[in-house]
Amino acid sequence: MPRTILISYIERDSLIHKLNPLTKLTALICVIILAFILGPVNNLILFALILPLSYISKLTWDVFKPIRYLLIIFAILFSIQGLFYPFRLTPLYTIPFTNIIIWKEGIIYAAEISARLLVMMVYGFLFVLTTHPGDLVNALRKLKMPYKVGYIVLSTLHVIPSIQMQVETIIDAQKSRGLDVSGNIIKRLRAYVPLLGPLFIGSVQQAVERTMALEARAFSADCEKTSFRQTVFRKRDRNIIIATVIISVTVGVLSWIY
Amino acid sequence: MDILKFKNFSWTYEGFNTPIIKKINLTIKKGEFVGMIGRVGAGRSSLCSSILGLIPHFYPGKFEGNIIVDGVDVETSSLSKLSTIVGLVFQSPTNQLSGAGTTVEEELAFGLENLGIQRHEIIKRVEEMVKLIGLEKFSSRNPFELSGGQQQKVAIASVLIMEPKILVMDEPTAQLDPLGTKLVFDLIKKLASKGITILLNTQNVDQLAEFADRIIIMDKGEIAADGDARSILTDITLLKKYGIEPSQLTTLSYKMKEKKLWNKPLCLTMKDAEEMVCEVMKR
Repeated sequence: MPRTILISYIERDSLIHKLNPLTKLTALICVIILAFILGPVNNLILFALILPLSYISKLTWDVFKPIRYLLIIFAILFSIQGLFYPFRLTPLYTIPFTNIIIWKEGIIYAAEISARLLVMMVYGFLFVLTTHPGDLVNALRKLKMPYKVGYIVLSTLHVIPSIQMQVETIIDAQKSRGLDVSGNIIKRLRAYVPLLGPLFIGSVQQAVERTMALEARAFSADCEKTSFRQTVFRKRDRNIIIATVIISVTVGVLSWIY
Repeated sequence: MDILKFKNFSWTYEGFNTPIIKKINLTIKKGEFVGMIGRVGAGRSSLCSSILGLIPHFYPGKFEGNIIVDGVDVETSSLSKLSTIVGLVFQSPTNQLSGAGTTVEEELAFGLENLGIQRHEIIKRVEEMVKLIGLEKFSSRNPFELSGGQQQKVAIASVLIMEPKILVMDEPTAQLDPLGTKLVFDLIKKLASKGITILLNTQNVDQLAEFADRIIIMDKGEIAADGDARSILTDITLLKKYGIEPSQLTTLSYKMKEKKLWNKPLCLTMKDAEEMVCEVMKR
C-alpha cells in the first residue's frame, strides 16, 4: 500500500463513532462558526474542550497529531503579522542592535487567527477520524445529495493513493533509465516534468477503465439506491443536535454582547 | 436454451474505415463454458464489450446486426439493465475496484446498492460471495491492499453477486503473476463446475484445455473456428494457422507422435497425459 497523505477514519468502539454523521457535522459547523465569533482566549477554552471529547472517542492523541503541520503556519503568521500588521500602533519589543520592531497589535491579530485555526483543525480532525466516509456520504445522500457527487467524494479517498503509487512506479521506471532526480530544487522540479505525460495519460486511461467497470455494476441504474452500511438517526442524535445548537447560539450571542 | 445470440453482428469504431468485428453469428447456450482465443487485435475484447453493451452505448461507432442476451436486445436497452444480465470482468485488477468501498464486503455490495436491493438481501449475498471466493479472512480489509490475484477474485465476485445470466471475462489473468493466475483459474474452475454460463477470453490455452466445453478462435474480426474444446485444441495445424500456441501437454504428445512413440489422439488434459505416460512406460 502506498503511503497515504489523507488522514482517515480510525475504527474505535466509542460513543462519538456511533453518532450519526449528520450530528457530528452539525456540531462541527457550530464549532467553526463559534471559532470565528470568539476571541483568542475563549477559543483556547474551546480548544481545551477537545480533551474530554477525544478521550470519549478513544482516540487520545491522534486528534492532536496534525497540529505539527500548523506550527509552520503559526511561525509565518506571527512573524509577518508581528512585523508588518497594517494597523500597528504600540511597539512590543525591539530586536537589539537593529531597528526591527515587533508590534503588539500584530501579535494579537496573529494569536486570534492561530487560535481559530487550532480549534477548526482539531475539531475537523475529530470529525474525520470518527466518521466513516461511507456513512457520511450515505447520510448526505439522505439529504438529497446526488449519488454521483457522493461517489466522487468516496472514490477520491482511494484514487489519490492509487495515483501516488503510479507516480512512484513511473519515477522508478525513469530512474532505472537514467533520470537524475537529485540536485537543487530547480533541477529536481525539472526532472519531474517527464513524469507528467505518462502520469496524465495513465490516469485518463485508468478513469476510462473504472467508468466501464462501474457501468458493469449498474452505476447508472435509475432507481432508489440502497446501502450496505447502515446509518441510524437515534433519539440521542436529535438531542445532541438541539443541545449543541442552543449552547452555541447562547455562547455566540453572549460573547458578542460582552 | 440460448443465452447469447449474435446475428450478423458487425462493429466499426468511430474514425476507422474497416470494421473490427465482421458479420459474426454465434450462439451460446445456458451452462456452456466457452473459451475464446486468437491473435492480438482479432476483435476479442471488442466482442466481450459488446455483450454488456459498452459497444455501442459507451464507445461511439457503427453497429450492425443484432445481439440478443437472454431475450434482451443489446442495441436498444440501457447499460444498467444489461448489467443485471451480463457480468463483465476486465483485465486490470485495480482499475476495476469501484473505489467506493473501504472493505472487500462493501466493494462486493456496490453493484447491489446501485440496483436498490434491500439491505438484508445484500448482506446475505455478500456473505455467500466472500465464502465462494475464499476471502473470509480478508472480508474487512481494504480491497486496494490485496494482491492482484485476490483483487481479481473480488472483481469477479463483485459482478457475480448481481447474479448475471452469463459471465464474460476479458483476459482476467493478463496482468497477473503465475500465483495470481492460479488463484483466479481455481475460482473460474469452481464457477464452471457450478454450471454458470461463462465466456472466457484468454491467451492461457493450458488452463482452457482443462475445463472449457467449447472453443472459439477469432481472427481478423471473424470467427475462424468454433467447436468442442478437444477437437479444436488438439488440432495443431489449425492453432498454428491462427498464431495460437497449443497447450504444453498437447505439444508434448505431438512431439511423442512425431517420434513414433505415440499413435493415439493428442492429449488435452492432465488426465490424458497421465494415461499416455503410463502406456508409454508400460511398453
